Amino acid sequence: MVALAALAVVILLSLFGGAVATRALGHDGQRPFPYATRGETLRPVGPWTRVPATDQVIVDEYGNVLPPKHAKRTLFVFGSDGPLGRDELIRLLDGGRTSLEVGIGAVLFALLVAIPVGCAAGYYRGAVDAVVSRFTETIMAFPLLLFLVFTTAKLGPTLSQVNYSWLLPKGVFTDAVLIGLFTSFYPTRLIRAQLLTLRNAEFVDSAHMIGASDWRILRRHLLPHLVPTLLVWGAIAVATNILLEVSLSFIGVGVEPSVPTWGSMLATIWGTIYSPKLQNPVWWQTILPTTGILITVVSLNQLSEGIRRAIEPWSRR
Amino acid sequence: MSHFTAFLGRRLAGALLTFLTLIAVTFVVYWSIPATPAGFLYPFAAHLTNYQLQHGNHLLGLDRPKLDQYGDYLWHLLHGDFGGSWRGGQIVDNDHLLLAPIGPQLFAATRESLSIILGGALLVLVLALPLGAFAGRRIGSAADRLISTATLVGICTHPMVLGLILATTLGVEQSGVIDNGYCPLRRGPKDTCGGLGPWTSHLILPWITFALLFLALYVRMVRASVADTLHEDYVRTARAKGAGELRVMRHHVLPSAGLRVLTMVGMEVGTALGVCIYIEAAFGFQGLGRLAVTVMGGAADQIDLPFTLAVVTIITVIVLVGNLVVDVLYAVLDPRAARETSRGRDKPLVGGVF
Repeated sequence: MVALAALAVVILLSLFGGAVATRALGHDGQRPFPYATRGETLRPVGPWTRVPATDQVIVDEYGNVLPPKHAKRTLFVFGSDGPLGRDELIRLLDGGRTSLEVGIGAVLFALLVAIPVGCAAGYYRGAVDAVVSRFTETIMAFPLLLFLVFTTAKLGPTLSQVNYSWLLPKGVFTDAVLIGLFTSFYPTRLIRAQLLTLRNAEFVDSAHMIGASDWRILRRHLLPHLVPTLLVWGAIAVATNILLEVSLSFIGVGVEPSVPTWGSMLATIWGTIYSPKLQNPVWWQTILPTTGILITVVSLNQLSEGIRRAIEPWSRR
Repeated sequence: MSHFTAFLGRRLAGALLTFLTLIAVTFVVYWSIPATPAGFLYPFAAHLTNYQLQHGNHLLGLDRPKLDQYGDYLWHLLHGDFGGSWRGGQIVDNDHLLLAPIGPQLFAATRESLSIILGGALLVLVLALPLGAFAGRRIGSAADRLISTATLVGICTHPMVLGLILATTLGVEQSGVIDNGYCPLRRGPKDTCGGLGPWTSHLILPWITFALLFLALYVRMVRASVADTLHEDYVRTARAKGAGELRVMRHHVLPSAGLRVLTMVGMEVGTALGVCIYIEAAFGFQGLGRLAVTVMGGAADQIDLPFTLAVVTIITVIVLVGNLVVDVLYAVLDPRAARETSRGRDKPLVGGVF
């Protein structure tokens, strides 16, 4: 119950939080505020700071930063994000949306691939099954990340042309499609394994006997049986996809750096694998996205457990 | 024993087939991407002339039939020759090539990654068995929930973040005890340090990072297995015969959990290699994961085919050998497995994270 509530809060905050906060605070997550950084090192300001709402920095002839003339101020609830001085709270909320978009989009795309392939292998068996099984085994033997790195580097520019203002920022579609493609092997095997046993059931035989076509049997009699399994898988897969997106950001092949996701927020603080940053960054900037990921992953995990317990009441775990 | 031999043969054949397929896939992918490999040989030419293109392709052996190239690569591989890297290749006397051999760099990187993975895996087992057993005996209790949630924090904190936090708080500049970078077990002529002590002190933080990440999966697995077996008849019999709790756990409950963990370790070798990318980056190692990303990633506009093939080969071999060793161990410990196919022994769900 707690998990469901937490998940609902995360989804609602991600969907509307960014827009609401932008309206309430009067600035969005992309606008830089020069006064939201301090000192020579451009250290970001801390949580709950009122920052002068101006794009211009006033300096005297020695280069010292002077306080701004018009002292209209805007509130930074979680401080700013780094040298650029953007609002961390709004980036966190927007980042949640993009991260969830990648996670859920990838699951949908994986199902789009897995259901036809899995059905073909599990229902018709024979040569199709042999090819699909060997192929999925082969691919799953190799580290998933390297496939993702390779394909995002090669296909990224083409796929990232699919975008739609703030709702689908550049690179989100690429991530979703490619993560979906390379994680579709697991549900394919799940579907295949379940259909192999189901297709010998009596209700399939009787459907055959009254003259139902293969298509109708698959659609009306077999696919409904797969829904619980796929729900259990889907809930976990959204969580793992969010983590995968973080991984991609750290390699530098994920979304564009200006687009906030929980992964790209972490990657701006700690650097990519080519240039990891070994200085001590500001602690709350690590805590915030990580907490977002943690709440989402834990509640999705609980959700998946709950569904599994509901469909397998005999299981003790 | 004949069952076992047949099982081993089937497994070996399967592994070989997988290996040949992956190499073939790499070749096919390379051929399907537009590339001008001759550019590696004439790095200063803005535009390659027709002669340069043809001569370059000829020197690199790319004008031969495709099947020849594939067979040739496998033949050289059989002799332990990974070929030479195209990058930085030099033409000598206009008729043969001078390429830097890939082998030494590849083996050095593999050594670093395997050090992280093997030590880390050991640490995971040492931590996961007691924690999982403890939680599995009191499912639903506060302690169980605490352990499950705490281990999930380890998964949700990315290994890169975790590694960098450890490196910046406990690393060399802070404590002066734990160093960054790899230190080999046996000191070679070019190494700056070596020996068992330095090796361990350089690897202890990577191992901890590795263990914290994988702990959640394995604790969960041991916990589930213990919770299941505690209600088995043979456990009740053991209790009825007066065996102490510790003896029941050690001799009757944990062995079956160990079997499941063993399966998963074998399946997860590929995942572990993926995780190594971040651990190596965080602690300044030059391991296989980072090498693979550099070679296969988008940083270079041209693909260095021999190097990519070498990386694919070594990773596939590591993964397949890992799976094979686990399969054989499994068949020895649980002879029923040798007779069955690999039914129900799929890669665990959460394992797909990396």
